[in-house]
Amino acid sequence: MHSPTNTALPEPLLALDHIDTFYGAIQVHFDLSLEVGRGEIVCLLGGNASGKSTTMKIILGQVQPKGGTVTFAGEAITGLATPKIIRRGVGSVPEARRLFGAMTVRENLLMGAYLRSDRATVAEDLERTLDLFPRVKQRLDQRAGTLSGGEQQMVAMARALMGRPKLICMDEPTMGLSPLYVERVLELVRDINRAGTTIFMVEQNASLALQIAHRGYVLQTGRVVLTGSAQELLMDPGIRDAYLGGEQAA
Amino acid sequence: MSSWFDYTINGLVVGNIYALLAVGLALIFGVSHLINFAQGSVYSVGAYVGLVCITYLNTPLPLTIAIVLASCGLLGILIERIGLRPLQGRTRIAPLLATIGISLVLDQIVQLVFSAQPRALPSQVPDWRFVIGGGSIGALDLLIAAIGLASAAVLFAFLRFTKLGWAVRATAQDREAAQQMGVDVDRVDSAVFAIASALGGLSGLLVGMYYNNISPAMSFQATLKGIVAQVIGGVGNVPGAIFGSLFLGLTESYGIALFGTSYRNLFAFVILILVLISWPNGLFGGRRSLPPEPLTGTFIAPSRPVLLPFWLVVALVATGLLLPVVVTSPYVIQTLSNAWLYGMLALSLTLVAGTAGQISLGHAALLAIGGYASALLALDLGLSVLVAIPLAGLITGLIGTLLVYPAFGLRGHYVAIATLGIGEIVSLVILNWESLTRGPIGITGIPPLAIGKHDFYSAPAVYWLTFAVLVGLALLQRRLLRSPLGRTLRAIRDDDVAARTYGINPNRYKGLAFAFSGFVAGVSGAITAHLYSYINFETFTSQISVLALTMAILGGLGNVFGAIAAAIALVGLPEIFRVASDYRMLIYGLALLLLIRFRPQGLFGTV
Ligand SMILES: Nc1ncnc2c1ncn2[C@@H]1O[C@H](COP(=O)(O)OP(=O)(O)OP(=O)(O)O)[C@@H](O)[C@H]1O
Ligand SMILES: [Mg+2]
Repeated sequence: MHSPTNTALPEPLLALDHIDTFYGAIQVHFDLSLEVGRGEIVCLLGGNASGKSTTMKIILGQVQPKGGTVTFAGEAITGLATPKIIRRGVGSVPEARRLFGAMTVRENLLMGAYLRSDRATVAEDLERTLDLFPRVKQRLDQRAGTLSGGEQQMVAMARALMGRPKLICMDEPTMGLSPLYVERVLELVRDINRAGTTIFMVEQNASLALQIAHRGYVLQTGRVVLTGSAQELLMDPGIRDAYLGGEQAA
Repeated sequence: MSSWFDYTINGLVVGNIYALLAVGLALIFGVSHLINFAQGSVYSVGAYVGLVCITYLNTPLPLTIAIVLASCGLLGILIERIGLRPLQGRTRIAPLLATIGISLVLDQIVQLVFSAQPRALPSQVPDWRFVIGGGSIGALDLLIAAIGLASAAVLFAFLRFTKLGWAVRATAQDREAAQQMGVDVDRVDSAVFAIASALGGLSGLLVGMYYNNISPAMSFQATLKGIVAQVIGGVGNVPGAIFGSLFLGLTESYGIALFGTSYRNLFAFVILILVLISWPNGLFGGRRSLPPEPLTGTFIAPSRPVLLPFWLVVALVATGLLLPVVVTSPYVIQTLSNAWLYGMLALSLTLVAGTAGQISLGHAALLAIGGYASALLALDLGLSVLVAIPLAGLITGLIGTLLVYPAFGLRGHYVAIATLGIGEIVSLVILNWESLTRGPIGITGIPPLAIGKHDFYSAPAVYWLTFAVLVGLALLQRRLLRSPLGRTLRAIRDDDVAARTYGINPNRYKGLAFAFSGFVAGVSGAITAHLYSYINFETFTSQISVLALTMAILGGLGNVFGAIAAAIALVGLPEIFRVASDYRMLIYGLALLLLIRFRPQGLFGTV
């Protein structure tokens, strides 16, 4: 395993190069480029409608860019169907969690392993993942829709782990959680990362994300306007005004 | 006299047959949020595949069932692939209309191959009957019950224990999230259509054996019954669909016991409307909020309507007026008169479906109300035809609005289903209210069109009258659309929540739209009645409703000129070129499909 470093390694795990994305006539990404090195936690910061979630959809192949390429583990994955991309080792924690509310927690977790056919190891992974999330373990046979927001976030993260991904993309994992749960989530993200999974995290709340991230990109109306290490970004006066000030408001 | 026991058995058997239809509808709605109007067509295909197997191939029963399941399953995959997958991402009403188009095409093909005559479908089950108490139960009854139970069990196991079943459930709950787990949602769509169609086909086979009678006309009623059962059980709810079906089957059976056969469908549709309005999640659904059904009018593909210059309008009207002078063929003139009558219907529907965004599938009922009103006013009250026709228009506006009023709170698909049900109720009331409507016999001897003492027998006279009325109504409607009223209607269509926050009461405006629309359609129906001199409850069939919708879409929803042009294109042209009537529904179906796919804004653009 690579140890986390502050600079991207020569061959990044994920690279977006010169991405232009459109919804109909409206352009969402303008020449967007970013890299996520193996073992890193990289966050993508930006306000509402800046194109953060769309970036995740580009990586997962749910939206196709008009121009540019996406490279994962050294191979181009632009234009591949979502299941193929996931098979290569991309997992996701979608915006607003998006659990399958009428299915049990166990079924939700197993859906995370949907593309795996190795039943025995899936069962092992389920046990191992549950050890990380003791609260989830108590609720295995409850309908996911009846869990609290914080518990749902845990399930969503556990579900992502069940696919044994190399990279997990998370879309605003702390959104709408109480401060206590925000701390738990950030800790868990760090733990997951330490155990060897690379993290790409989309966040509005810069001060939170930068607590655990190694590096960050700042997205403004579809353009990367700033990038650097977490420390550099925390020090940056622009980002202090634009995002860290927003923490009180949030 | 049959016993209550027999009625119960019959109700349960019919309920099982409905369940096979409704479960598929529920699965499809769950996954694609779509009411599949082609379900009944697949059901009739299933019956005819069974016919071929049994009478020509002499297959044994298990093989017959297997062939029906396989061929209808394949048909389902085909329907999803050709008709629906290309419409992904469009508004939900688009695939709904596509399934209507597909059903027209399938029904017509069945009719072309097997003719419209009913056929006997011999049962392959021995004719044993077991006497129990005061009644008896047949081997076929037991077989149908067993197939119903077995299908439910297999479906349950599939959803619960197979990977694809999990994918179906996950996709039904959150399509995008399922995709992010690696589910191939296209494959899920395919699978769901295959299952729904296989079960629907099986249902057709069983019903054919049960009544020993199949015909292409069975398709539409089957779709309706499946939808009713599904609505009773909660749209998209699979176990609910089974309960709803049994409930419907039993209610119908007891209803027949108490009131007679002609009331059967009336029960179904009254229940439909009651449930839609009072228990929108179904009788067995929880208090869950409805599945999101956003935006009533979003089928309206935004576009720029083609604006006709004033001189062109004048020129067209002048051409229309002078045509009978130039064209001497009475056949052509009659055909065009017919097109003008349909043009009024299209005007009426384009206002409601286009401008007000309420997709109505029961518009033929307005013709029927107008036709009956005018005929009865003239015959029973002795009013002159000239007075009876506009009066019938007013009556239709009033009755039509009152009938639809309870459904004003509904949106999107639910409006389409409710109007469909209301339309069926109207024709069943006409059938059963003998003291007023003369029941199944219909009304004969309706006085011809006349002004004073001058009867309008000649083709040009009828032509001029219909043309003048059409132009008058069209101008009135155009006026209305440009007034603040028209703007308000469009505002409600585009966003009724926002409209409400501006203090607009959407129901009042929907009421006005339906009233005007009812008047226009009522006048058309009234003129038709006097032209035909004979009408009955089947004169204005639900096929006319579908045709009207096709016209409104072809012209561009909300577009007044487009509606008239579409009436000429769809009614006038096939007639003038003497397309055999067998092919006409095929043409309408294909036209609808192609339009939705390639030109949802219609020929002249939506307004
Ligand atoms: N399916 C879609 N069709 C059309 N436009 C879309 C679609 N999805 C997103 N957009 C638009 O693209 C822009 C970027 O959306 P995106 O969801 O990527 O923003 P975001 O940065 O994640 O915002 P938020 O912080 O609110 O989640 C927005 O203006 C949004 O309205
Ligand atoms: Mg977002």
